[in-house]
Amino acid sequence: MLSMTDVTVAIGAVTPLDQISLTIEPGEILGVVGESGSGKSLTAMAVMGLLPLIGGRVSSGVIEFSGERLTGMPEAKYRRLRGRRISLITQNPMTSLDPMQRVGTQVDQVATLHLGLTEPEARARTVDLMTQLRIPDADLVHRQYPHQLSGGMKQRIVIAMALAADPELIIADEPTTALDVTIQAQIIQIMVEMTRKKNVALMLITHDMGVVAQACDRVVVLYAGRVAEMNAVDALFAAPRHPYTRGLISCIPTDGLAPGQLKGIPGVVPSVLSYPGGCRFHPRCSIADTICATQSPVLSARGSGLVACHFSDVAPA
Amino acid sequence: MTGPFAAPLVSARSLSREFASQRGVFSKRRVMKAVDDVSLDVPAGQVTGVVGESGCGKSTLARLVLWLLPPTAGSVAFDGVDLGAQRPAELRRMRRRMQMVFQDPYSSLDPRYSVADALLEPYSIQSVPLSGAERRERVAELLSMVGLSPSVAANYPHQLSGGQKQRVGIARALALQPQFLVLDEPTASLDVSIQAQIIELLESFRRDLGLTYLFISHDLGLVRYFCDQVVVMYLGRIVEILPTSRAAPRHPYTQALLGSTFAPDPSQRRTVTPLGGEIPSPFDLPPGCAFAARCPRVGRICLERRPDLVSGEAAGSVACHHPD
Repeated sequence: MLSMTDVTVAIGAVTPLDQISLTIEPGEILGVVGESGSGKSLTAMAVMGLLPLIGGRVSSGVIEFSGERLTGMPEAKYRRLRGRRISLITQNPMTSLDPMQRVGTQVDQVATLHLGLTEPEARARTVDLMTQLRIPDADLVHRQYPHQLSGGMKQRIVIAMALAADPELIIADEPTTALDVTIQAQIIQIMVEMTRKKNVALMLITHDMGVVAQACDRVVVLYAGRVAEMNAVDALFAAPRHPYTRGLISCIPTDGLAPGQLKGIPGVVPSVLSYPGGCRFHPRCSIADTICATQSPVLSARGSGLVACHFSDVAPA
Repeated sequence: MTGPFAAPLVSARSLSREFASQRGVFSKRRVMKAVDDVSLDVPAGQVTGVVGESGCGKSTLARLVLWLLPPTAGSVAFDGVDLGAQRPAELRRMRRRMQMVFQDPYSSLDPRYSVADALLEPYSIQSVPLSGAERRERVAELLSMVGLSPSVAANYPHQLSGGQKQRVGIARALALQPQFLVLDEPTASLDVSIQAQIIELLESFRRDLGLTYLFISHDLGLVRYFCDQVVVMYLGRIVEILPTSRAAPRHPYTQALLGSTFAPDPSQRRTVTPLGGEIPSPFDLPPGCAFAARCPRVGRICLERRPDLVSGEAAGSVACHHPD
């Protein structure tokens, strides 16, 4: 339904995304995971056609959505797609909501604008949608302003806005990072339910492997603008083949972990201006060898997935 | 509350802190209790975790414990000394021994101060005379303790990553060789990979320097990993104290917090039973248990009487009419 094939994004002379390929099918949740600076949000912007806002462009590769080519699509046509067939949920619900307007009205507008509904029709639809998202007293909340709602409630309104035009694809960029854990658990649960029920494709961008394990069907691990590993969630967690994937999993504290066992990934994601040669992860990698500094590993099939590592067969230490 | 082998370094007794809203044209001045009757002991050499969601009062508690914010009622004893009874100069001297690491390294470092300036500021506040050579030496030493290169000294905060900034925040807190650190969500604004680095670092200081920590966090998974005992707060009050981090929670709120953490393992996927209701307004707390509106085990008594924090077996305490 959505496919990115060898998509490279250029901003001026630098290429912060390098040959990204991925697909998502209806009703499927694809996790896009990596640290800050790994290219997750740029991937979202490329699909949304928002790269010009930051002076970027897709310099090679193709993005296709339901048989239509998004790369090179004129802005006027793209605008009819955005919010209607592809919608976006961002990290901070406050930046997506107008503080001066009743929240219900903001959801109604999506349906009147994109589906051509009358105001009463849109309103009835919004209240129904809000009820499905388990917003209590949806009639009352419909008339409230953002400042009257808790963070979790505001994020549900943003989700209602994202669903209002019956999109085929939703991109959620760290949708629960700003929320408390009990609220995060509710929101993730609601998003999984809605994806299945409405047969929407969901691209869930996160840095948290716990969220990936809980919610996603497949996962793409990005590092420094490249795909490090891609696989079905069960297979990925059963046998993570890229050392970066293993690092992301092992830095989450779990109940089985003895004191002193929690291990971070040393170093930081390099800046796009100073990507190292060879494998971009090699300066932080515990199993790197000389070849890693000189040759970029090719993304190749391993088991049910794809991995870009010279030592993907090395058993984890 | 105190472990059998460790004397408390810090003892807080019946701490409360109220905040008042501004009187508006159409509204009365209203009072909320951010922290309400909180007592806790922080055993020397141990890590005491305080966990709860936004608005539970955990950051206010952090400031009260260090007397950065005076409580409306209650007392804090540090190594047997009553902080409330100290004169300002005396309190300042005691601050050498107790320091704080703030949540947001982006705002706790002055953008106009170089890293070296930030690290030397504690010495000038405490009027510790240092020669030029000593200053350079201290800065280099502190940077190497937190795993940063000495060349970082001349940098300004905007030139550092979030993780590097938080390392500088920790180095600054360590400058005066304190015994006690209050860590207010030190990793909340960092990537999980960097969070783990910072936790590793804090573990090493605790082991090698014998530091005592009060660790504030919203992440029960992290607290259970890192802390020896866990204090759970809800709307300004302690609802449960777990004597060891792996003890099974008995309060339904602690259980809900635990049930909301996602393990990095798809075979442990859980169906979350969402907490019903909303967190009540701290300005308008119900007469009974503050958690009653969201509690799956709520009974009539919960709406009428607030449960006291009661010590049970094995030194744990719980404030619930129907604990497990």
